[in-house]
Amino acid sequence: MIELHQVSKMYGNVVGVNDLNVTLESAAYGLIGPNGSGKTTLINLLIGHFCPTLGSVRVFGSNPTKDRSLLRNIGLCPASDVLYPNVSALEWVKYLVRLHGISRRESRSMAEQALEIVGMSDAMHRPMGTYSLGMRQRTKIAQAIAHQPDLLILDEPYNGLDPVGRADMTAVLKAWTDEGRGLLFASHVLQEIEAVTSSFLLIYGGRLLASGTADEIESILADTPQQVRVIGPDAARLVHRLADVPWVDSLSLSAGRTELTVSLRDPGEFYRQLPHWIRSDGLAIERLRTSNGNLETLFESLLKHHRGETP
Amino acid sequence: MNKLTLPLAVMSFELRRSLTVGRIAIWFILVAFPVAIITAIHLIAKIEMGERFDPEKLVEPLGMAMYFLIPEVSCLLGLLLWATPAISTEIEGQTWVYLTMRSSGRRMVLIGKYLTAVVWTLSASLAAVALCTILVDSPIGSELWWVLTKLVVLSCFVHAALYLMIGTIFYRRTMVAAVMYTVAVEYVVSFIPALVNKFTINYRLRGLLADWMQWDDARSQAEHIFGNEPVSTHLQLLGVMVVLFLGIALYRVERTEYPTQQEG
Repeated sequence: MIELHQVSKMYGNVVGVNDLNVTLESAAYGLIGPNGSGKTTLINLLIGHFCPTLGSVRVFGSNPTKDRSLLRNIGLCPASDVLYPNVSALEWVKYLVRLHGISRRESRSMAEQALEIVGMSDAMHRPMGTYSLGMRQRTKIAQAIAHQPDLLILDEPYNGLDPVGRADMTAVLKAWTDEGRGLLFASHVLQEIEAVTSSFLLIYGGRLLASGTADEIESILADTPQQVRVIGPDAARLVHRLADVPWVDSLSLSAGRTELTVSLRDPGEFYRQLPHWIRSDGLAIERLRTSNGNLETLFESLLKHHRGETP
Repeated sequence: MNKLTLPLAVMSFELRRSLTVGRIAIWFILVAFPVAIITAIHLIAKIEMGERFDPEKLVEPLGMAMYFLIPEVSCLLGLLLWATPAISTEIEGQTWVYLTMRSSGRRMVLIGKYLTAVVWTLSASLAAVALCTILVDSPIGSELWWVLTKLVVLSCFVHAALYLMIGTIFYRRTMVAAVMYTVAVEYVVSFIPALVNKFTINYRLRGLLADWMQWDDARSQAEHIFGNEPVSTHLQLLGVMVVLFLGIALYRVERTEYPTQQEG
């Protein structure tokens, strides 16, 4: 479905994405990365809006900047809002479908179908200026799926949706992936993606740091330098155990002596030893906090792995 | 067949979208502005000249004024509003990315917007020409109306292509670029008695006005303003300009990586 070969995109001296290499078969993928990580640049490369400075991009075997007919097979729901206040959702979606060269009658029927799927049938004749943010978001999804593409690309599709709207959207996206169609779902919130797919692409600082399922990424992290916070009344008593081991880079104890931050070069070894120390020393440890709860730290850890800074 | 009618679909969508109080008010202003000035000139002449007032003697000055106010000013104002920001409004409104995602999006949207700008401005300018001709009540009213109508049509098609091209090149500060170009080239350079004025649209339109109205005296007295080329030369060069400007605009819109105003 998607092939990126040594793809880099520069904006003057600024790197948008850097040396991306990935081949993705037709399936659902979550593209996760913090704001400014290069997600939208990657999407713009995939739809042919941007031409790579270096490398090659192929989607369904074609170069998206040269073969515009390819866009008939791709649906995009961008992060930007829709700003045609005096146009109805039906008119707008019909117009966009029509721009694929589809007949007027067929465009109308496809637009109506898509708006029905996203639950906008009742409001589709109203001007979009009267819509809530959630309704505009649904309309954006409708325009992306109306021409029945084989690959759907979503950039932060949950923006502005309330919990009910999020649940409805998740159901729509799951139904889409159940049909065996391709999906690339960009977000900076891991939980949003996990609800739809278990395959991830992790992007940070313009680099694709890891790809695979959640388990595969966890196994990469197990061997990647990372920080762990040990929390509990006896956290300070772990210092003497950790001070001499070669796989610890640094130790930092909080002022209250109840929180110990450990920088680990070999997290796997730490997790193997810790239960023995707790049992043999009779330590009261309440919690362990790893980088999984903090996306920035998680990405920093993966970046180290990507650079080959692992033991 | 479906693809051939796409510019019309774009035009229909754009015209439907433009039915706002502001846009309709501007349409009326574009019609009223030349009509008000021509009416004022006509009335002042009547009052000043009293019994010496001869409509035949006023054909040329009033015709010149109508030409200047409608094909050279009114048309340009309308097209500045419609053709110049064709792409920049979509970029600023963050809707450009939706259009470029369509297999025929970029080209068809550009052509459709070109037609929209022409149709909208043409309707206002033709209404102004008709009203002015009726108000002036010239002995050669129908001839004047027909010549000005042809010039308005030519002005709209060529200037719309020019402004569309400027809009695709300067998608930031589009209006500033277009206004500066208009003032510098179409209003200043077109009057410079040198080879350079032959490359302007207004020089060609003025040449056609003098030719079609057979104002040979004006032509012989100010050859550098009205030119001495035949009608066919003016028409051919205006046609070349439309093709060239639209060609550059289409090339730009296909190749340029316009910003999508998104982050991430």
